[in-house]
Amino acid sequence: MSQSVIDPPGSTGEPPAPGTGDGVRTPAGVHAARWALIAAALLGLGYAAQQAIEAGSWLIVTVVAFIAMSILVVYSTQRFIPAKYLLPGLILLVLFQIWPIVYTAATAFTNYGDGHTLSKDEAIVAAQAQSVRQDPDAPRYGMSVAVPEGEPIETGELSFLLTATPTADAEELEEGAEETGDTGENVTADGYQLFVGTEEGLEPLAAEGVSVRANGTVETAPGYRVLNLLEANQRSREVTDLAVPVGESGSAVKAATTSQAFVGQPTMVYDEEADTMTNAEGKVYVASETGNFVPEDGEGAALPAGWTVNVGFDNFLTIFTDPAFRGGFLKIFAWNLAFPIISVASTFVLGMLLAILFNDPRLKGKGIYRSLLVLPYALPVFVTGLIWAAMFNQQFGLINDMTGLNVNWLGDPWAARLALIITNLWLGFPYMFLICTGALQSIPTDVKEAAAVDGAGPLRTLVSVTMPLLLVAVGPLLIASFAFNFNNFTLIYLVTDGGPFVDGNSLVGSTDLLINFSYRIALESGNPNIGLASAVSIVIFMLVGAISYVGFRQSKALEEVN
Amino acid sequence: MKRTTGVIASAAVAALLLAACGDTDTDTEETPAAAEETATETEATENEATETEAPAAEDEETTEDAAPEDEATTEDAGEEPAASDGTSLVIWADDLRSAALEDVAATFEEETGVPVTLQVVANENLREQFGDAVSAGAGPDIAVGAHDWLGELVQNNVVAPVQLSSDLVGQFSPESVEGFTFEGQTYGVPYSVESLALIRNVEMAPEEPATFEELVATGQQLVEDGEAELVMAQEVGQEGNAYNMYPYLAAYGGGIFPLLDEGGFDGSQAILDSEETLQGAEKIAWLAEQDALTVNLDGSNTIPQFVEGNTAFLVSGPWAIQQATDAGIDYAISPLPDFEDGGDPSPFLGVNGFYVSANSQNPQIAQTFVQEYVSRVDVQVALFEAGDRPPALTAAYDEVAAANEDIEAWGLAAEGGTPMPNIPAMNAVWGPLGIATAAIVNGQDPAEQMDTAQAEVETAL
Repeated sequence: MSQSVIDPPGSTGEPPAPGTGDGVRTPAGVHAARWALIAAALLGLGYAAQQAIEAGSWLIVTVVAFIAMSILVVYSTQRFIPAKYLLPGLILLVLFQIWPIVYTAATAFTNYGDGHTLSKDEAIVAAQAQSVRQDPDAPRYGMSVAVPEGEPIETGELSFLLTATPTADAEELEEGAEETGDTGENVTADGYQLFVGTEEGLEPLAAEGVSVRANGTVETAPGYRVLNLLEANQRSREVTDLAVPVGESGSAVKAATTSQAFVGQPTMVYDEEADTMTNAEGKVYVASETGNFVPEDGEGAALPAGWTVNVGFDNFLTIFTDPAFRGGFLKIFAWNLAFPIISVASTFVLGMLLAILFNDPRLKGKGIYRSLLVLPYALPVFVTGLIWAAMFNQQFGLINDMTGLNVNWLGDPWAARLALIITNLWLGFPYMFLICTGALQSIPTDVKEAAAVDGAGPLRTLVSVTMPLLLVAVGPLLIASFAFNFNNFTLIYLVTDGGPFVDGNSLVGSTDLLINFSYRIALESGNPNIGLASAVSIVIFMLVGAISYVGFRQSKALEEVN
Repeated sequence: MKRTTGVIASAAVAALLLAACGDTDTDTEETPAAAEETATETEATENEATETEAPAAEDEETTEDAAPEDEATTEDAGEEPAASDGTSLVIWADDLRSAALEDVAATFEEETGVPVTLQVVANENLREQFGDAVSAGAGPDIAVGAHDWLGELVQNNVVAPVQLSSDLVGQFSPESVEGFTFEGQTYGVPYSVESLALIRNVEMAPEEPATFEELVATGQQLVEDGEAELVMAQEVGQEGNAYNMYPYLAAYGGGIFPLLDEGGFDGSQAILDSEETLQGAEKIAWLAEQDALTVNLDGSNTIPQFVEGNTAFLVSGPWAIQQATDAGIDYAISPLPDFEDGGDPSPFLGVNGFYVSANSQNPQIAQTFVQEYVSRVDVQVALFEAGDRPPALTAAYDEVAAANEDIEAWGLAAEGGTPMPNIPAMNAVWGPLGIATAAIVNGQDPAEQMDTAQAEVETAL
């Protein structure tokens, strides 16, 4: 460090700045830069909060506000030195680790899933919007959207300028006229009958001065400003909601497209006080505890759109009490323990033996062998998994073809498990080979020489000297490998997809890991149930946590022994 | 010394801070569902190449056909999918359909002045992404998809009703409109109909078999003579395939759900263990006994067996044709033959069409597009050319079928079929029924398996 960078304390003759205990004064530029960064960060967060407010997500607004406050508190003063370094990491930890866990845990107590993705208010709106039906044989009108002349496009009162087409047969025209009040003056020269519709109702529109386009919609009308497509689209929500009442049965003229209107009515009406839905025939639907509108008389199906409700511990109860789960869950758990243990053991043994073999100084061309051995590790499992699945095909697969066997690899539970172990052995041994090669080279040769001097043979040296030293080095990696295989979703998904499924249970497969099982429940089963899958995820999380804890304690004990 | 460390430290903290803030910004803008969606987008790009129904060669051709002066913009799937924003009409479709839609998008833009953005989304991701995006308050104005998504989309309020005028309804084949009708309400405009049929290698089997028994006998003879390796090829797979087995189950009037008088299905009860369905299940067992069905044929190797000339008969849909053509197979398409005892295999119909998002920022414009443009003959013909499936619009079908005997054959094969149920209850059937049919093909007792499937479906309903 060159001398010129450091100002000797007190060289300028000024007293040390307050707050800097060591007497070094921070230059004004640094202060300015610091405050500029704080301001920029707050500005960015302010923008994020703005977006969140627009989306109506108060939780996110709260989180953003909290982050902004922490930044201000930690970086604006000269105190909290450690926090200055820790805060960014903490924020990331909370956002990307803690938050997903909390979110999953929260979901596990709901019935969130297909048919229950909405909030109750949304479900009510959806049920009514989905129930709008066209009146049978009611006329279609040509439609233009207009505002009264002189009023601004953005806020003026909307009205529909409607034309009944001249092609409609005369009888229908007259009928429509009776309902809507034909004055005789509202028929244009080419036969279009004109109306203006507002929230109040339908009125005849004087034909004088009105011009009609080729597609039968009003182009200009005196006293109205006809909106073009894009202008009308700015107010598309209001146009959708605008219902011009006609007749007495609750029918209304509504926009069908940009140029057509239809006569129809919602057949489902929500009664806020009773919290019920009533359809056109008077059938009443009540809100159920499970988040659906169900028929009051218990007959018929519930309305399709349901909402998310809190179900307490129901999902966890299902895992541990539902017969389809209870039997399956234990079976899956047993296989879920066996698969990673066998996988790690088999890959480690093969990898280690090969590593020891290729570590022998007498072997020539080690580079080539080593590169070849690592190949399976270099290929993506998305490719190799599918290839192995095809090779295990009983009738057309390479393995039965080459060996002359007729093993039902993917159709028999035990053969399928064996097939997975074989595939994972092929995929996994190069990794073990690599780490063992590395660890072996770090074992000093003098211990082996000492063993030889003491009269130990090669096998004895391997078992009593090399292996313990090797295990200390790779022990934690074996536990990591165990944890990886405990959740080795991809391999199972690609090779057997959890199958074969026996005893007519399509949820619990013979080779399912817990993670594949929860994926099937969440996304592939009959009724995708994210809430239930979240509960399964939490159980898996706890299991992996417990197993890893025990595992790491064991490996620590191993280190202490040596 | 202290001071430089301080400067470096504060710079480092500032950098970290900025990075952290950058992250918080993007994260807070997204709801969890949207974040999930971003994850699937990446998959979408990866998976695009594996689209099974859309051979790449065909894709390239159609893209070249599209006029370069098109005003419509087609965006790559790699970018964030465009969402409806109130300034342009955003359509999500898979690569084939987007290519076919480019001309009509340009016409629409010309006639209405509304720009159209075509967003390519891989077919197998479309359903999920459409649902997720709309639920998160984003998503397109229009999505192109299959009719059997409908129940789920309505349940989650993803799609808006489409009020078709009665004369427009009359212009489509009744089954296609029925496919897009859920609980009496129409939610989409159909453009094509597809179903399973018998695809026959004319060189190996010159005669169209009159019955299934004849088909099996011919197939067995070919295997005996060493000309073929398989009696027949049809996808079953280890986990079974209810869609492929349905024609047999329905052959004697059985099926999955009872039909309602007013149209659609009664999803509250399954009829998998009914006498009629069981009679069909026994035919599956018989076909397996005759080596005509095997669980070892799955999605990856069924069509290749036919294309490589290992069998004379393939039961599949229009998606198999491109591969057969590419391989130079001389093929003929005919409806699935009847059984000798009068059983008439009746396939499911799949209908493709246009959905309008319930969250569209341009609802009227989107409705205009689906009601007034998708229903045009030239549009339906263009979509046929991209996908080789018979158009749903009767006028377009007549025009196409007159010039293309394949299409006429597909049309014949679809006759008498019922649209695949679009009720959400159907989701509870695919798994159990698939596994039951796979077990039957594997030699298990049909009655027992159908009972088990029935029980499992009943619990799920």
